[in-house]
Amino acid sequence: MKIRRASAAVAAVAAGALLFSACSSPAADDEPQTEDTAAESMETEQISDPCKVDTGTTETAEGEVKYSVGEDEFLGYNTLTPETYSTYNSAVTERIQGLFWYFGVDGTICHDENFGTYEAISEDPLQVRYTIADDAVWSDGTPITYADFLLDWATQAITADGAVTEDASEEALFNSISGLTLGDYVPDGPQADAADAKTFQYDYERVYADWEILVSTPLPAHVVAEQIGITTEELVTAIQEVDMDVLEDAVEFWNTGWLSETPGELPDPALVPSSGPYMFKEDGWVAGQSITLTANENYWGPPAATQDVTFRFAAADTHVQALQNGDLDVIEPQATVDTVDQLEQLGSQVTVTTGQTLTWEHLDFNFNNGIFSESLDAREAFAYCVPRQKIVDDLIKPIDDTAVVMNAREVFPFQTEKYDEIVAESYDGRYDEVDLETAKEKFAAAGLEEGTEVRIGYSAPNPRRADEIASIKASCDQVGFDIVDTGSPEFFDKDLPNGDYEVALFAWAGSGQKASGQNIYATGQPQNYGGYSDEVVDEAWETLASTADEAVHVEQTKVIEKQLWDTLFGIPLFAHPGVGAYSSDLENVRDTAAQSGIVWNAEQWARAS
Amino acid sequence: MLKFILRRLGISALVLLAASFLMFVLTVNSGDPLKDLRESNADNKQQLIDARVDHMGLDDPDVVRYVDWLAGVGQCFTGTCDLGTTVTGANVLDLTAQAATSTLRLVTAATLLAIVVGIAVGIISAIRQYSGFDYSVTFLAFLFFSLPVFWAAVLLKEYGAIRFNDWIAGGDMKPLMIFGTAAVAGVVVGAVLGGSWRRILSTGAVTFAFVALVLWVLNALDWFRNPFFGLGMVLLTSLGAAVLVTAIVAGLGNRRVLYAALTTAVVGTLSYLAFAGILLEPSSWWVLIGLFLLAVVVSIGIGAAWGGYARKQAMLISGITGAITSLVIVFDILVASWASFLQLKSRPISTIGSETPNFSGDFWESVLDTGMQLVLPTVVLTLISVASYSRYTRSSMLEVMNQDYVRTARSKGLSERAVVTKHAFRNALIPITTIVAFDFAGLIGGAVITESVFGWKGMGAMFREGLDRVDPAPVMAFFLVTGTAAILMNMLADIAYAYLDPRIRR
Repeated sequence: MKIRRASAAVAAVAAGALLFSACSSPAADDEPQTEDTAAESMETEQISDPCKVDTGTTETAEGEVKYSVGEDEFLGYNTLTPETYSTYNSAVTERIQGLFWYFGVDGTICHDENFGTYEAISEDPLQVRYTIADDAVWSDGTPITYADFLLDWATQAITADGAVTEDASEEALFNSISGLTLGDYVPDGPQADAADAKTFQYDYERVYADWEILVSTPLPAHVVAEQIGITTEELVTAIQEVDMDVLEDAVEFWNTGWLSETPGELPDPALVPSSGPYMFKEDGWVAGQSITLTANENYWGPPAATQDVTFRFAAADTHVQALQNGDLDVIEPQATVDTVDQLEQLGSQVTVTTGQTLTWEHLDFNFNNGIFSESLDAREAFAYCVPRQKIVDDLIKPIDDTAVVMNAREVFPFQTEKYDEIVAESYDGRYDEVDLETAKEKFAAAGLEEGTEVRIGYSAPNPRRADEIASIKASCDQVGFDIVDTGSPEFFDKDLPNGDYEVALFAWAGSGQKASGQNIYATGQPQNYGGYSDEVVDEAWETLASTADEAVHVEQTKVIEKQLWDTLFGIPLFAHPGVGAYSSDLENVRDTAAQSGIVWNAEQWARAS
Repeated sequence: MLKFILRRLGISALVLLAASFLMFVLTVNSGDPLKDLRESNADNKQQLIDARVDHMGLDDPDVVRYVDWLAGVGQCFTGTCDLGTTVTGANVLDLTAQAATSTLRLVTAATLLAIVVGIAVGIISAIRQYSGFDYSVTFLAFLFFSLPVFWAAVLLKEYGAIRFNDWIAGGDMKPLMIFGTAAVAGVVVGAVLGGSWRRILSTGAVTFAFVALVLWVLNALDWFRNPFFGLGMVLLTSLGAAVLVTAIVAGLGNRRVLYAALTTAVVGTLSYLAFAGILLEPSSWWVLIGLFLLAVVVSIGIGAAWGGYARKQAMLISGITGAITSLVIVFDILVASWASFLQLKSRPISTIGSETPNFSGDFWESVLDTGMQLVLPTVVLTLISVASYSRYTRSSMLEVMNQDYVRTARSKGLSERAVVTKHAFRNALIPITTIVAFDFAGLIGGAVITESVFGWKGMGAMFREGLDRVDPAPVMAFFLVTGTAAILMNMLADIAYAYLDPRIRR
């Protein structure tokens, strides 16, 4: 049995219907491609909801499910410091720390109703009211309250000088990965009646498009208070009044008290209560080997389906054999043709899922210097000769046969409805096929000489990118370019900042944010490496980022995408393929395009009985 | 001698210091420690970069960072080592202790096995020079020597773990498997024992028949899933070992030695009965180690009592027999635990990890669990080391066998056994000592790929991860341990040399 990522496609339809019911344009009702229809009808039994669906679990079954993210050791309960922040660590902590929302299989923001509810009670000025579920408690019995979220806000708002941030550029008091953005937008912090309130409200100083994901995972404030010898109420007051005497102690504990300096030594259970379906298992961590989570008895939502989930620390290239031997039950190996072949040879013993992920590959022009910086004709000549379809057919389809050429930057092909709508209005398909004749005309119009050198840089070693460049060279050299593969391990360190390239080949990982693209495409932004500048794009981003209205987001995205195509910021290629596989006796394993990985719904994994 | 050792130590310390500086500079310049952050699209990217620069001291000159590190290491002399922290905030001292333990567990068995097997194979192939056995060993040695570890490991996992586990689920040997195993055993034993073609054929045939019969009986008894060994077999095996050791080292003609060895075997087996309670449920490894030492001491005592004129030899052989008997007893206990172990873990050999997560067996079942996890990596490491040891031993042995004094020994009518074990073997061992000492130091750091492929977190993994992140602390810790081990082992080898050969001393 082989599940293709049709579920994601179906999911996207559903999500799109939900999100854009107010604004669907005629384009969105275009006939879907026949291939998709076929896939959908075949997989009708597949789950269509991008979010977690109710699996009807009422009690936890004995047993253990083994999974591996990779060989990286677990680092600590607090995954929000720059030192511990990684997908490896979050894979564990996300199971033990609950939150109001999570990313669904296609990147949709899903609400976790078990944890609580939230809604924007006003869009401009933006005001969001959060309500934590009444029965939501930490595994030590303490209710999850406003205090936990106030502490979370404090870690992202208070500066080292003991004030609430002005513009997020100051040095932060807490060693948090998130910086001071939250404090910048919500200077007053969440407001509630009492320290133990279940309802509280964020008043945004100005509208922020990505307000939903700005509020992150809360860590237990009562533990911090206890560790520094005060009550939770006193901690709340100290934060509200920015009382540095108290805060300095709190920072000390927040920065270090939840990190595990010595691998294999679990912290005192009193320090690390769980707010999710799992919690640390006593003696469950063996340095260099594995860490085991066990079902949280005090979890108020649907119980975990299986008693224990073990995360083994094993290198990715050992995963396939480990799955075959039953040492792992769920794996997410490197997406290569070899891995997929190997997995398929295992037959019905394992179920393989392939699909696209939220990371996408693209060619970006250098606007700071070189032949492409001033001449649209030159960029078009290059775009007409890049064999995008061939690259996808040769390199990606063997892994994931649903792979397609990507024609947008802010939406992914598997977010079908939204993608089709946006692409239909922004791109007319002119670069779909290689057109050497037009490329030559544009080449001549740009006044380029035969044999013009084009350096394509990327972070080497990367065999797939080397193959992509070889394909481009085979095609574009006929036009008159001389494509040079300048991949180097120091690409991001030296070549990119120094501008020693004509075209940069790399991938962005989709963050799930709506306005993160502003950093890449707007004038003078930190991720705008090529120095691209366009007034229309800048303005559209301003509009998009300063509203919480979904309809405006879509409209502005169309403007941005169209302008980026017309001025040729760069050429999107494809969404990276992803591969997941699991032992066929497991139920409810669903792969996801989001970065949380296949483990995202681990609490639903169950052995078929 | 003391002066010699002190001078060596002084020079070694200076070498280590200079090398550590070189290593440090090379490490911090080996890449970009901010690589992952440069590719980040976080809003506060610059703040994150600044934080890491500050955390790792990237703005300081290399020399300053080195001196900082060295100051931390210097505190070791006051008992408070500070090897720094990794970029992810882990304490490197703890990390090193864990990694070193893991690596030692991994390489100790492999090294011992490789020494014993490699030297034995080397000697036999030297004695049987230009025989089919010799050619086969040469061929295999070169094959193993050039084996890519990751590839061999993948094959081993396929056959040694996955297929074996599939098979043990039924535990039934097919006739073809029995035939094949017996045939291989027949060919090997025939070739090793050598002699005329007639003799080779007959030893081969007898071995074949014996192995086939034993396997057939074991199979019929479902022995592979429910094995038993028993006191009788323990006694028989120990007695066999006693005779064999005596035959090789002293010759069966030396009755006092033979009796000493046999007594040891019997006493050992009887003590198994006496200590059964402690042995079956030992409270810790220390109990077992204590009992083992006790066994060896008692054995040596038996040797001394029987010895008479051959006291020294009797003590040695009794000691060896005692040690072997102890191992046979452990084997018996493990065999007895196998069936219940299979209940706990239906697929006994995992492809990854040094132990089964959350394994819930008793002491011996846990030993079986960790032991089975050692099998595959040990096989890989052993194959590679055996290849070189057998070649070195063979050439060294051949050289010695052509010496005049060996010819003299033969011409005065000594048995071939006495010539080989007494006159040739000891001298052939001298160059091997150096290689073994050096190799052991190398193995501690050199099992990088093996560790990674089998999911062990040892010194190699620590080194590799550190280097990937351009994080000097773990790399330097790795260097400290392996560098010190290399220097110590080299010095041991030098001292042994100086002791064996006075010409080395100056």
